[in-house]
Amino acid sequence: MNRFDYARPATIAEAVALAAEPGATYLAGGTNLLDLMKGDLVRPARLVDVTHIPGLDAIEPLADGGVRIGALVRNADLAHDADFARRFPAIAEALLAGASAQLRNAATAGGNLLQRTRCAYFYDAASACNKRTPGAGCDARGGETRMQAVLGWSEHCIATHPSDFCVPLVAFDAIVEIEGPKGRRECPLEHFHRLPGDTPERESDLAPGEMITAVRLPGAAAQFAGHARYLKVRDRTSYAFAIVSAAAALRLDGETIVEARLALGSVAAKPWRAHAAEALLAGAQANEANFRRAAEAALAEARPAGANGYKIELARRVVRRAFILAHAGTPARIQALPASPFATGALRHV
Amino acid sequence: MSGIAFTLNGGAAMLRGAPGRRLADALRDELGLTGTKIGCNAGDCGACTVLLDGVQVCACLLPAARVAGCRVTTVEGLAQDGALAPLQAAFLRHGAAQCGICTPGMLMAAADLLARNAAPDEAAVQDALGGVLCRCTGYRMIIAAVLDVARTAQPDMPAAGRAVGAAIARRDGVAKLTGAEAFGADAAPPEGCLALRAIRSPHAHARFQIGDCAPLLAAHPGLLRVLTAADLPGGNLYGIYPEGKDQKVLAEAHVRHRGEPVCALLGEAETLAAIRDEDVPIVWEVLPPVTFARAQAAEAVQLHAHAPENILCRGRVARGDAAAALASATVRASIAIETGFVEHAYIEPEAGFAVRVGAPGSERIEITACTQTPYMDRDEIAQLLGLAPSQVRIIPTAVGGGFGGKLDLSVQPLLAAAAWLTGRPVRWVYSRPESMAATTKRHPARIQAAAAADGEGRLTGFRCHGDFNTGAYASWGPTVANRVPVHAMGPYRVPDVLCTSAAIHTNDPPAGAFRGFGVPQAALAGEALMDMLAAQLGLDPLEFRARNALGVGDTTGSGQVLGAGAALPACLDALRPRWAALRGAAAAFNAEASGSLRQGVGIACMWYGIGNTSLPNPSTMVMGIDHAARPILFSGAVDIGQGSNTIMGQIAADALGVPVAALHLVTGDTDRTRDAGKTSASRQTFVSGNAARLAGEALRGEILRRANAGPHARIALEAGVLCVSEAGRTIKLDLASMPADGEGLVLRGEGRFDPPTTPLDADGQGIPYASYAFAAQIAVVEVDLDLGTTRVLRIVAAHDVGRAINPQLVEGQIHGGIAQGLGLALMEEFIPGRTENLHDYLIPTIGDIPPIETILIEEADPLGPYGAKGVGEPALIATAPAIFNAIAHATGIRLTRAPATPDRLRAALLAAR
Ligand SMILES: Cc1cc2nc3c(=O)[nH]c(=O)nc-3n(C[C@H](O)[C@H](O)[C@H](O)COP(=O)(O)OP(=O)(O)OC[C@H]3O[C@@H](n4cnc5c(N)ncnc54)[C@H](O)[C@@H]3O)c2cc1C
Ligand code: SF4
Ligand code: FES
Ligand code: FES
Repeated sequence: MNRFDYARPATIAEAVALAAEPGATYLAGGTNLLDLMKGDLVRPARLVDVTHIPGLDAIEPLADGGVRIGALVRNADLAHDADFARRFPAIAEALLAGASAQLRNAATAGGNLLQRTRCAYFYDAASACNKRTPGAGCDARGGETRMQAVLGWSEHCIATHPSDFCVPLVAFDAIVEIEGPKGRRECPLEHFHRLPGDTPERESDLAPGEMITAVRLPGAAAQFAGHARYLKVRDRTSYAFAIVSAAAALRLDGETIVEARLALGSVAAKPWRAHAAEALLAGAQANEANFRRAAEAALAEARPAGANGYKIELARRVVRRAFILAHAGTPARIQALPASPFATGALRHV
Repeated sequence: MSGIAFTLNGGAAMLRGAPGRRLADALRDELGLTGTKIGCNAGDCGACTVLLDGVQVCACLLPAARVAGCRVTTVEGLAQDGALAPLQAAFLRHGAAQCGICTPGMLMAAADLLARNAAPDEAAVQDALGGVLCRCTGYRMIIAAVLDVARTAQPDMPAAGRAVGAAIARRDGVAKLTGAEAFGADAAPPEGCLALRAIRSPHAHARFQIGDCAPLLAAHPGLLRVLTAADLPGGNLYGIYPEGKDQKVLAEAHVRHRGEPVCALLGEAETLAAIRDEDVPIVWEVLPPVTFARAQAAEAVQLHAHAPENILCRGRVARGDAAAALASATVRASIAIETGFVEHAYIEPEAGFAVRVGAPGSERIEITACTQTPYMDRDEIAQLLGLAPSQVRIIPTAVGGGFGGKLDLSVQPLLAAAAWLTGRPVRWVYSRPESMAATTKRHPARIQAAAAADGEGRLTGFRCHGDFNTGAYASWGPTVANRVPVHAMGPYRVPDVLCTSAAIHTNDPPAGAFRGFGVPQAALAGEALMDMLAAQLGLDPLEFRARNALGVGDTTGSGQVLGAGAALPACLDALRPRWAALRGAAAAFNAEASGSLRQGVGIACMWYGIGNTSLPNPSTMVMGIDHAARPILFSGAVDIGQGSNTIMGQIAADALGVPVAALHLVTGDTDRTRDAGKTSASRQTFVSGNAARLAGEALRGEILRRANAGPHARIALEAGVLCVSEAGRTIKLDLASMPADGEGLVLRGEGRFDPPTTPLDADGQGIPYASYAFAAQIAVVEVDLDLGTTRVLRIVAAHDVGRAINPQLVEGQIHGGIAQGLGLALMEEFIPGRTENLHDYLIPTIGDIPPIETILIEEADPLGPYGAKGVGEPALIATAPAIFNAIAHATGIRLTRAPATPDRLRAALLAAR
């Protein structure tokens, strides 16, 4: 870890000014940044700790029925906000399926969006990684690819974005509010993260010095509350990054789907919205055959980045299952082991 | 700059270090509160959990500045006025702390939960404690403790002569619950300690040259010295087997695995942390690595001169004619299985410090560090530094988990060399990635096995060959190669056997000792075969095993006739009712199942020879009485969480005939105790327990002789007076007038025990072990056929333990072993360079471990202390095969590769369609 200077601005304007210097980095919960600094993967000259800026930790209802989530709202506080969890249950479920209680108590909404990939080669200073050192090459190609991308990857990078939170957010058309040296702007979450192309080092739409101030959900998102689920397949029952995950939501008129939402996690360098699958379901009957077709459509362009072809079929199944669960209806309260395929309640056993 | 003011455990506190440093470091290094542990520094393990304004957070990922004006509670803040908080008392009562390294984190996570929810249910506990990893307990006793905080009464301590068999709380339990216990990184180093950092190879196989370090030294004034192999004061070679030392303290021009140390930086901790690996002038010439798959291929280079074809050694057990038996059998089955590296993943990374002490001419080196084997460390360090063993003192700290991984040297050689060379104390704490990259693992295995049975369901033949990837250096490879062939056929009567093994060198990290020494891998093959044969014969898997189970008077594959205490038949009998009920319940579930969930119930048996294979294995203990009439046991057996401090005390107290609560214990320190041998091979209860018993009996004999009393006299220690009473008369021994020896003892007894074994001949025939433990376990699983995920719903474990000296500790070992077996079966696979942390390398969390029912079978082993055998390794061995057999029962799929991750199970399901 390098030596760095530590600043604690009291306003957004101050923060943006402090972050304008080259080498400055925003610090929120620190759950990702401190780890990256320990590994010397980022060596900031200055940490701009935004956690003391007042007003960024509010969950504000909006006139259209949507909600504005301040960038500093902690993952746990958001998931446990009763009103939020009632109206956006799949998001609460995704939050609770991520990391551990300790980390959710520290991690912020803004930080979650900007967490870096968990590609093991990115973390290993001895491996070539285009994301770490542009042009160095990518040792993940031809290496261990079990957890890598099957959608949207390029020859230059096959890493995934590991967030759970972002998956339902992108399904529900979340908007990122940004403040920077050039003022305020906003960006749909769907366009916030970038696919690697030939610049995998550029992961988001943020320009240097720009800061996330909030994430907004439109009122339409709350209309799915009765049929919205998040499903996460992982190698152990809790406290593990997803192999594949999906957020699926339905608006139903009887058994007819009025509108469907679908996004996949841990399959690409961004949370992956599946518009084609949604279009296919709009107006269709809510049944397994249609969910299966939707799953096919969602993965139509998938291709293995190595020995991870299994993820494609697994993702199809996860999509199908997520829709089946969503169709069955959002449970009244989030079960133990959130988003687990096994969370079927108490063990029925002799 | 002004400090960071906050409230710590209810009082005002101030931090003056850098605002961006981690709170965990600030608490430990600046405020000296070492109760908050660091297991990973990455958010993966939760050992650093503290409460920040009442909610649990990882102190390792919290910038210290964040606590300004906040309330922080650490484990040190739980006990009030020296009295354990109800939560801590519940942990003590339930045996919820084993090694104790995770305990502070567990307690803080539970405190957070209980503050919000005074009467949580099991799911709430799992949810709240889900971020703290424990490698020892299997979590179930932790859950039980948190659910039972309301009760307060602690059980009474047993009276004289009643300690053996009592579930007393562990002797070191309170220290583990208050944060007072000092582990490797907690033991306070002397002032002026230098830090050490190893520069390790990023390549699996390479040649290298270290350039001129002068510019590096000049650029970093806090860097004192760069140590290379040429600087080492004595030798550079070490290793477990005296005749096969092959590992270098610092590599010389050639590295054979990723993580091998090539040089060491000595200096101020902050300076060392700021130097990047690439700043050190090393020129690498990368060589093609030898892999397990191709280690014997024509193109593979030979890694060691003494290992042609990269074969370190072979093992063999042959009896009768296995080929003929297989050829002529009624039914036959064969299988080939593969397993990967498994990491010990103890939550405490290796740590310690070394000090050079004494006047010139009589100088010594003292090493305070976590270890499973102080005496081996002492002799090895003496040899490396060119000193006499008496010039080396090893002071073991509390060990935050070992499981075999702390049998090999880690920090000790470089610490010793650096302290010896500089004359200054030197401290070193492994980082988590360093611990995972550089230390030993469980051997990856490739096993081919075949078994045959007759029409009555009696095993007639068994053949097996296992290749074990022993990595770059020998470590415990020969132990695995020798132990596996003895055990590979499983705990069954098989007249004709041929079991062979080979330990193979590769450019992987050295594989060493890990709970079971290769037997768990072999059991995956053998126990699959038992199910396959039973199926062909239309027999129930449990009944098939019962028909073949080794019992008293049976002959093993090594030609050994088993004596009293071989209790596998009793284990199987005990499981029968549960087996029938669980199989029935699973069948009913599956008959109704419409979705993709299927349940399966599997069984597996295991046996395990206690102690070294056909090698001397002695343990010596001393017990004495001092002037104050205190009975003291000097035990060299290291308690790595399994509870030997408590067990030895229970045995010794009963042998002497005094209440266990009165006993004092001196442990570990090589200057103060005798060699009790290593804490491995499940041998401490059986071997050192006997030594403790003999020491207690010898002391008792001495006391009775002095009092001229008969063998049934009562010994009592009251207010500094030793009284012996018999038939109405009481003799007071005047301790004050007796001369004390160098250890302050006025009366003493010594006990030594070496289990009787004989060497094995070329066919592996002989008496490799004096005692065997047996077990049978049932696993119930639920498999999602669609997604390939598996969840274990229940384990029922029947263990032949001879005698449970302390049933709670025995049960704790069984739970912990089962959790590790579950990890081996379902999720654990170490890939060098790719999984050197605890989020890419997954171990079971509190949510993964199902309810465990334990059944203790106590058929005394005539050789064991009070009949006891070991249980440390036996606990793990049957679990993974029982789970694999349960998956086969649920799906019809016989997996041949561990772990059964969702992708592998899915692939197997697809292939079977
Ligand atoms: C062991 C472990 C397990 C985890 N498991 C999961 C999981 O299962 N699912 C999951 O989704 N996540 C998981 N995470 C990731 C976790 O969710 C993120 O670390 C966390 O959300 C990051 O938030 P933070 O506030 O701590 O960000 P920080 O670490 O403070 O920052 C992360 C990045 O975001 C930038 N940043 C932060 N806030 C802002 C802002 N307002 N404006 C601009 N830039 C900003 C920082 O500069 C930095 O680059 C895990 C993390 C750990 C350590
Ligand atoms: S996949 Fe991307 S992050 Fe991983 S090594 Fe390649 S370039 Fe780096
Ligand atoms: S040390 Fe903080 S989570 Fe492991
Ligand atoms: S007791 Fe939990 S890690 Fe040892």
